[in-house]
Amino acid sequence: MDEKNIPDTIEGLRKENEELRRLNSTKSEWISIAAHQLRTSLSAIKWILKMFLDGDFGKLSSEQEGFMKKAYENNDRMVLLVNEMLSLNHTEDSSITYTMRKEEIVSLIDETVFDFHGESFKKGIEMIFLKPEENEIFINCDKEKIRVVLQNLIENSIKYSNKGDRVFIGLEKKGSEIELSIKDTGIGIPKEEQPKIFEKFYRATNAKEKEEVGSGLGLYTIKQIIERHKGKIWFESESGKGTAFYFTIPLLD
Amino acid sequence: MEGQKTVLIVEDDNFLRGLSAGKLSDEGYKVSTATNGEEAIKVATEEKPMIILLDLLLPNIDGFTALESIRKVEGLEKTPVIVFSNLGEEKDITRAKGLGATEFMIKSNFTLDELVEKIKSIIG
Repeated sequence: MDEKNIPDTIEGLRKENEELRRLNSTKSEWISIAAHQLRTSLSAIKWILKMFLDGDFGKLSSEQEGFMKKAYENNDRMVLLVNEMLSLNHTEDSSITYTMRKEEIVSLIDETVFDFHGESFKKGIEMIFLKPEENEIFINCDKEKIRVVLQNLIENSIKYSNKGDRVFIGLEKKGSEIELSIKDTGIGIPKEEQPKIFEKFYRATNAKEKEEVGSGLGLYTIKQIIERHKGKIWFESESGKGTAFYFTIPLLD
Repeated sequence: MEGQKTVLIVEDDNFLRGLSAGKLSDEGYKVSTATNGEEAIKVATEEKPMIILLDLLLPNIDGFTALESIRKVEGLEKTPVIVFSNLGEEKDITRAKGLGATEFMIKSNFTLDELVEKIKSIIG
């Protein structure tokens, strides 16, 4: 390249970069508007179907009730998809700054595990938080985003486990990081599908069989969040035996 | 009916407003409605409802601004306000709570029964 053209090239790249940023921001805005508009219709459908199911318009035959239930569940699936699209849109938008603060992680895990006690009890799954020796460990993070990560991983571990299974949540200090683990003895992820599970919209075959409802956005979203925190996320899994997810976040200096 | 509990529903979508008003009337509440922010402030000021159900995306004055104004009206400073909206990102929730919202519910995540339960848990 001719040296005197370098400034032009840099200027060109800068302009292109600006244009891409603008387009990305327009994309995010459109997703946001579309998703929020969809919620009005989804609410109307949800409410009406519920009224039919409650017998507000007269008693349904068992066949009618079956179909109405299917419609209601599918509508809820769309509600979930819209929620996750919005959450992802928010996570992916690099112009959105994370609110990074000094936060205490042991109590955050405790709170999140507590929130899932009802659900795990209902399914007959035991949840155990193996606490570290220290009562308090501080990291620099966006608390609400890390809560989303914990919620997603714990929810998955319950969703893809069976009655009598156990979920272990572990927290350890390792060098300059914390390492969190969520291990279950559930259905596991088939080996051939493992490379794909962090992909957007991907759901493992056995996961779809066990739980019809799911968007395939959860793991993708949390990977983005962990990476924005300069951490790593990975897993070990064996089909039929269980899955262990791990992630790290740097400790507060 | 004397002693009847009063609710103000602020919702611009005709269909959703009709459904929620019908449901709350059936549950024994005396329901007033408003279709935009300006009307919401006016009705709330005149009628002093026991609880307000407030949408955020509204024509002319939006729900955030309406909430801010409602909180300044004498007698409405502490009236419970449930934000019932299609919005629901962290920034929306923080903003609404900062302006004095009692609860924040995303419409499509709840059934009308759950909404009634929430109202009952606040005003009975």
